Amino acid sequence: MAALRSSSRLFASARPLFRPAAFARSYATVESSAQDPNPSDQPRVKKFQVYRWNPDQPAEKPQMQTYSLDLNKTGPMMLDALIRIKNEMDPTLTFRRSCREGICGSCAMNIDGTNTLACLCRIPTDTTKESRIYPLPHMYVVKDLVPDLTQFYKQYKSIKPYLQRDTPTEDGLEYRQSPEERKKLDGLYECILCACCSTSCPSYWWNSEEYLGPAILLQSYRWLADSRDERTAERKAALDNSMSVYRCHTILNCTRTCPKGLNPALAIAEIKKMMAAH
Amino acid sequence: MVGFHASAKKQILPPLPQSMEGTVNDPAPIPETHPSEGSYHWTFERLVALGLVPLCVAPFAAGSLNPVMDAVLCSGLILHSHIGFQASIIDYFPTRRVPKTHTTCNWLLRAFTLGTAVGLYEFETNDVGLTEAIRRVWTA
Repeated sequence: MAALRSSSRLFASARPLFRPAAFARSYATVESSAQDPNPSDQPRVKKFQVYRWNPDQPAEKPQMQTYSLDLNKTGPMMLDALIRIKNEMDPTLTFRRSCREGICGSCAMNIDGTNTLACLCRIPTDTTKESRIYPLPHMYVVKDLVPDLTQFYKQYKSIKPYLQRDTPTEDGLEYRQSPEERKKLDGLYECILCACCSTSCPSYWWNSEEYLGPAILLQSYRWLADSRDERTAERKAALDNSMSVYRCHTILNCTRTCPKGLNPALAIAEIKKMMAAH
Repeated sequence: MVGFHASAKKQILPPLPQSMEGTVNDPAPIPETHPSEGSYHWTFERLVALGLVPLCVAPFAAGSLNPVMDAVLCSGLILHSHIGFQASIIDYFPTRRVPKTHTTCNWLLRAFTLGTAVGLYEFETNDVGLTEAIRRVWTA
């Protein structure tokens, strides 16, 4: 993997050198490639129902607002549709977004009944069905599609998500790991904390005040499994109560919904195994 | 205040207004930790659940009526169901939300478990016993 990555980076950096200047300009323009597949078709108008709630009018009930977009003029992803609605139709629509490529976790929302990142979710091309977009379920809503993640971040802080270590290395340089030890962190370090899994978990819906939820437990396991960390016993002791971990009833909604394809349920199972074996 | 309630009135344990312990920068408090409610409890629960699998099959497969086996099976079943219902009470009647209901439910569960235990003991000592009863009822 490391070799692959370095070679692709080399390749990418080498490309401008060898590419003729004429092609350099047309390279990687999104609009041209996005509009090409259906150049002269009929307009494909799809309806989007979006959850709206304005904190400035707290007495008004939340409602669904319908927007119609021509898919031929819209990018392929749900986030493209939302950005287009905000830019061209309704500037009051509020949602979080940042990287638009599934690495920041800002645009997590409930689309057609599934928690996912809007930027990684393709717009279903079936124009007869409307798409329904809600904020993450069972969270306090700040406005429209923006949930309040304060408790989520406070819980993340409570597991001390950083390397805790007292003994220095022999050479005083780096904390080294064997490739096998590093391999244990694969599938854990990729988590972007978008909260899709935690908010899909019924146990987290009922007990989010005390139960940590799949995302935080996956992060917790990321530090329990790290061979360089020296606070494994303390970390395990902090989880040893009826609420933090053991409200997980292996419902597996977390694994099913994870937009990054990770397996939080497996990490929780590993935590339970570690705790049982101590 | 009524105007601020935008959700349905008849909800079971509707979410309370948002509240926070400490500031946004404080970590969430860690619940009181004890292995007997955490890892020991979970390990015990899994061992009981695993042990029940052979215990449910063995008496019928062996074909012999053994009061010791019956006693072990009965106590296993009682423990298993008690732990299961206890988990539901913790899930659906959380202490921080409905402390009185939580305690009441827990005592109700204890009473029912004790009642079941006494009933099964009577059934085992004064009647045919659990395994024999299932064998008689089971016609398939």
